Amino acid sequence: MSIADDLTARYAADLRGFGAALPDDFATGARAMSAHLSDEELEAWAKAGIELANSSLRAWEAAAEYFRASADIVERLGTEGIARWAAQATELSSRSSLIAAQFLKSTPEALAVLQPEDLEEWAQQGDRLCRGNWKSIALAQLYFQISPSLFRSLSLPSVGRLVDVIDQLTERSYELATTALEGSGQIFASLSGHDREPFLRFARAVTRASWADTRLYFERGPKLIERIEAPQRAAFLDLAGRVTTEVGRQGFPLFSDAAEALGGMATEEHGAYIAFASKIATGSPTAAMEYLKSAPFVATRLNPDQRSLWEQEGLEILAVEHNPEGAEAYFRLESTRAEERMRALSSRVELSSINSMLRMYAKALSGEPVSVHSAEDLVERGIGWVTESAASTEGSSIYLPPYVATFPEQEANFQVYKVFTTHQTGRMEFGSFDYAWDMPGAHVASTGPRREVAAALRRQEQGIAAPKAEAVTAVQRLFNCFDDRNLIAGLFTVVEDTRVDALVSREYGGIRRWLKRLQDHEIGRRPKVEEMALRQAFVENLLRASLGQAEAIRWPIMLREYMTDGIAALRMVEQAGATVQDSAEVAGALYDIATSIPNVRMPNPDGKFDFEGASQEMMDVLPSMPGGGEGGPDMPGNQQEMAFENPPQPDFRGDFKPELVQLMAKLKLQQEGGADAGGSLTKEQLMELLQNSVELSISEWAEGDLDQSLGMFLDNLQKEAGTPAGDKKGEKKDGDASADGGKGEGPDEGELPVEVTWFYYDEWDFRAGDYRPRWTRVGERVSAEGDRDFYEETLRKHHGLVMETRKQFEMMRPESFKKIKRLEDGDELDTDLAIEFHVDKKAGAGPSARIYNRRNKIERDVAVAFLLDMSASTDEEIEKQKVKHSGKDDDDDDNFDGDPRRYFQWLAARRAKALVEPPKRIIDLEKESTVLIVEALEAIGDSYGIYGFSGYGRDNVEFHVIKDLDEQMSERVERRISKIEPIRSTRMGPALRHTIHKLDEYDAKVKILILVSDGRPQDHGYGRDRTEKEYAVHDTKQALVEAKRVGITPFLITVDKEGHDYLKQMCDDIGYEVVDDIESLPRRLPTLYRHLAAD
Amino acid sequence: MTALTTNAPGFKQIAVEDFRLTEEPFYLPIRDEVELFETAYADSVPVLLKGPTGAGKTRFVEYMSWRLHNKGGHGGHEEGVPLITVACHEDLTASDLVGRYLLEGDETRWIDGPVTRAVKNGAICYLDEVVEARKDTTVLIHPLTDYRRLLPVEKRGELLEAADGFLLVMSYNPGYQSAIKDLKHSTRQRFIAIEFDYPPRDQEAIIIERESLVDAATAMELAKLAEKVRNLKEHGLGEGVSTRLLVYAGKLIHGGISRRRACQVSIVWALTDDREVQRSIEEVVASIFDD
Repeated sequence: MSIADDLTARYAADLRGFGAALPDDFATGARAMSAHLSDEELEAWAKAGIELANSSLRAWEAAAEYFRASADIVERLGTEGIARWAAQATELSSRSSLIAAQFLKSTPEALAVLQPEDLEEWAQQGDRLCRGNWKSIALAQLYFQISPSLFRSLSLPSVGRLVDVIDQLTERSYELATTALEGSGQIFASLSGHDREPFLRFARAVTRASWADTRLYFERGPKLIERIEAPQRAAFLDLAGRVTTEVGRQGFPLFSDAAEALGGMATEEHGAYIAFASKIATGSPTAAMEYLKSAPFVATRLNPDQRSLWEQEGLEILAVEHNPEGAEAYFRLESTRAEERMRALSSRVELSSINSMLRMYAKALSGEPVSVHSAEDLVERGIGWVTESAASTEGSSIYLPPYVATFPEQEANFQVYKVFTTHQTGRMEFGSFDYAWDMPGAHVASTGPRREVAAALRRQEQGIAAPKAEAVTAVQRLFNCFDDRNLIAGLFTVVEDTRVDALVSREYGGIRRWLKRLQDHEIGRRPKVEEMALRQAFVENLLRASLGQAEAIRWPIMLREYMTDGIAALRMVEQAGATVQDSAEVAGALYDIATSIPNVRMPNPDGKFDFEGASQEMMDVLPSMPGGGEGGPDMPGNQQEMAFENPPQPDFRGDFKPELVQLMAKLKLQQEGGADAGGSLTKEQLMELLQNSVELSISEWAEGDLDQSLGMFLDNLQKEAGTPAGDKKGEKKDGDASADGGKGEGPDEGELPVEVTWFYYDEWDFRAGDYRPRWTRVGERVSAEGDRDFYEETLRKHHGLVMETRKQFEMMRPESFKKIKRLEDGDELDTDLAIEFHVDKKAGAGPSARIYNRRNKIERDVAVAFLLDMSASTDEEIEKQKVKHSGKDDDDDDNFDGDPRRYFQWLAARRAKALVEPPKRIIDLEKESTVLIVEALEAIGDSYGIYGFSGYGRDNVEFHVIKDLDEQMSERVERRISKIEPIRSTRMGPALRHTIHKLDEYDAKVKILILVSDGRPQDHGYGRDRTEKEYAVHDTKQALVEAKRVGITPFLITVDKEGHDYLKQMCDDIGYEVVDDIESLPRRLPTLYRHLAAD
Repeated sequence: MTALTTNAPGFKQIAVEDFRLTEEPFYLPIRDEVELFETAYADSVPVLLKGPTGAGKTRFVEYMSWRLHNKGGHGGHEEGVPLITVACHEDLTASDLVGRYLLEGDETRWIDGPVTRAVKNGAICYLDEVVEARKDTTVLIHPLTDYRRLLPVEKRGELLEAADGFLLVMSYNPGYQSAIKDLKHSTRQRFIAIEFDYPPRDQEAIIIERESLVDAATAMELAKLAEKVRNLKEHGLGEGVSTRLLVYAGKLIHGGISRRRACQVSIVWALTDDREVQRSIEEVVASIFDD
């Protein structure tokens, strides 16, 4: 009997009390162990197991694992090791047998990575997670379960740090801790070796700063850092860690945004970005992350050299000016300085920054009320234009790409815009859309009718259906004469653009140079002509010739005649006096040449065309043109003809769609002028045009019903024609509003909702000491109208006060002529002075010759804008306010005198009073004051505007026009005053700025802005957080300073008793008044105004 | 009164009524304005010259005063009709026009105003920018403009009948269209109105060339520029560029200033203070002139 069997027998009784399998496990274990241990040692081993089994309630489970696992590891651990191991398990078992069991079970797997002496540390790490409750036990058990696999990717100390993180999480949520732990194996396995440690370090920072973000970090982190260049990841994570330690809960979102931003950049640049970010992180960790977040945007504007200059400026704000907030705003691109610096450095030119200048330029050149828009807008409108990067025009507006970065210098890119604009304006100026049917050109006779007859014959012969409806436009009629519409449209475009370019060069000497440069640039971007089929190559070569790049022409020498003829024809439109009629005829002639060239592969693509042979001399194209000639002498034949496709247009010429433009003009004429615009167009005609037109891109149509999409398209077109040229959108930029707004002559659509015009204003960030550019959006709208009751009621109620103020104001009205006395020269003699003069003279004293009077006309030239706070807080009832402020209701009449017998009487009286006079709110008083001031101002004759403001958030500041400065007082204004209602927040700055803008545009000698409010400025996002008041106060103050700067006298009136504290700060040297007794506001306002506006 | 020359060299002083042009001023008739004016003059019909500033109104009056020879034999002018010009301003009073008493030594002395002098001498009396004058002042000239041709001199209790050859001419720029600065109907309906506008490109080029001595090609480019800039009227500019400014530009160019620079100072900056509009016009200039 072996010692093992002996032991089994001996301990059988002890083991029996536990699970059924335990004795078997023991037996198997003992047998296996006996090979490695001496008898005594085996005995000790068995004892330890029994001890373990007895150490706690369900410890036998752990013992089972002990017996099972021992044999696998005994060789690694040795006898003593096994004993220590058992002791560790027993220790754990005192916490929970489950933990001990898992520990023992996982040990063999763990030892595959760990050293025997590490077991102690490992056990302790698990032990640390256990806090006695079942959740922590489960977590510790989980730890022992998965840690062996973790050791494959992390060292023991690293796992220890992970345990720290998990442990920290348990203080908040076991669920989260469990999830994190479960996921960690996979996460760390997926990370590459170098990244694991930094990843873990940042995890600790995140958990400490904001435990809830740990989940997000574990979920998204690996993916986020994956896209960062491998050697840079550690640096980035450490940077993020430092930032997070400093900024707390903002840390993770900053990390995530920055990582995403970096991920989108070229990897080889990551190092530089992170290095610079680390540099600024010492001064402002937030700025560092903001810098990384902005990097992709900055990279689109600046090349690396420019970028480092730009960065340097930001660094200076931080290091030299010691203004971390300023640097944050700078790197977040929320500061005017950052934008200006970028604009100054960048070679790229944005349309938005030169839009209004170009508009005026185009107006000057064309003499038309042209507007300039981004090409994106034209595409959006769905009327047949699809290219966003190229310029175009639909006859009344010019569309330009949103930015130009063609050349490395800013000046050159600006000039590109000018060439774009000049070419598009040229189409208007030189009449590209004015093609008329059967009109001779300056150099060529009209062939239209002849071609039309020929086309009809041809169709008849070939049995092709004739066009169903009569042509709508002249261009359509012209194109109808040709079988291949695509080809004729393409040729017409090339020819007409040639003509326009020639005219531009001739008329605008200053543009010539830039046009040439752009043409040179375009030629480098042309598709390879050698790879084109013959007919397409013919058109492409014409286009190259039209770009003034004859040497770039490639054409088989044996077919040179075709090309020479073609180019000679093209040159005709470059002559002085050529019109669009010439272009059309030349296009026709070229069509004839082109159709005689089969569209097959070029026979000898290498043959460089000797262009010089194509003389510049005039050539009588037409008579010699056979209508679709029968091939040249040695035309390559017998090949498969390829489908013809027009070569792409150069960007600066862009889409040319005369057929659509003429159609739109016609539709517009029809809508404006009624029927006599050459008869109304039938739907059939329109459909015919649209179906055949090659100017609509096929991509316009979805798979669906062609008729339906055409119908929709037609709707768009008609809508377009109904809207006057110019502003298609209500949206205008700051200061742009007066230029061409509100001239809508199109059909009145009646049920239009409130029309809102948007304006953009900067906002002052006092921390950064800089403006946030275009930060707020103010929506100006005409206020809604109510009934007149309120107005009349107020007049009635305050009859006495109204009369009084009127009288006071009438006294201020200046006499229209003021007499100026004692002049040397004037309209009339002052008799007294004249006598005095003579007396003095006779008396020998030096007489004064100032004896004339003169009447001078005096004009009172005052404009005032009242800006009313319409925030929700003005809804507050005044009674309540009083209670709030004074602590007791001190209205004598209303006071219940305490006699219980009269209580009900008193109550009834009070209720009745409340019924007759609903409780008054602050806004009501604002309204009453407005009524009074209106009456007063009408008496004095000053110009005045009344505006209300409210809104929510920076992009929705509502600006209600109750009466505009140049509007006459009317019943509608009365109705609007009645309708004034409290709305939402109080973002004062933008409302003030908009009022300033209005006053500034208004012509008056004295300008006053009066703001009536009930409290401090506040709005969502108007400050760093909800409770911060500083930011709003500073911005408002800045707006008031801006007002003074443009010669407006601002004045603030508030009914907020606590107003003194912030008003003092906000107003500095600007006038303000706190109206203590709210109800005196209606009386006070006119008085105040009188003082303000008296000269 | 006769012309009196002081002894100061290079300095000439003459009484207003003696002023007449001794050399033919350059004027390029655009339409039938010369013929109209001559006919009106012959029949003593007052003339209102309407048009934007710098379109040649004043030059036209000068030209006409030179061209018209006094037919009344009133002193037998050889060199045309005397021309008395009054630049109107808002403080212009009736006595500024008619005359006033001045104190001289012990007594007062009557001084004729410019209108009175024109009336007495049969001169063309040209009220430049008449809307600038106060409305009560303009009423004064009413009796002069109808068949009566009388000027009441209230302070002296006299009525003056206009001498032969007297004609009242006013100029007026409707561009200022504001309620305050508009002519009263009772005033404007006493005149025939000749409209002045900027000349067409070719003719304007001739004027520029002739006046500034710049070469024909540049004159043509300047006229083209003018056309473009005038397109901006009401779209950023209150007034188009005047021929006068173009001539200035031409003079500078002729004097050796670069073309762009000359246009900048004489056209762009003269026209507007708005930076954006300036920039736009400068770009138009840059498109037309390459240096």
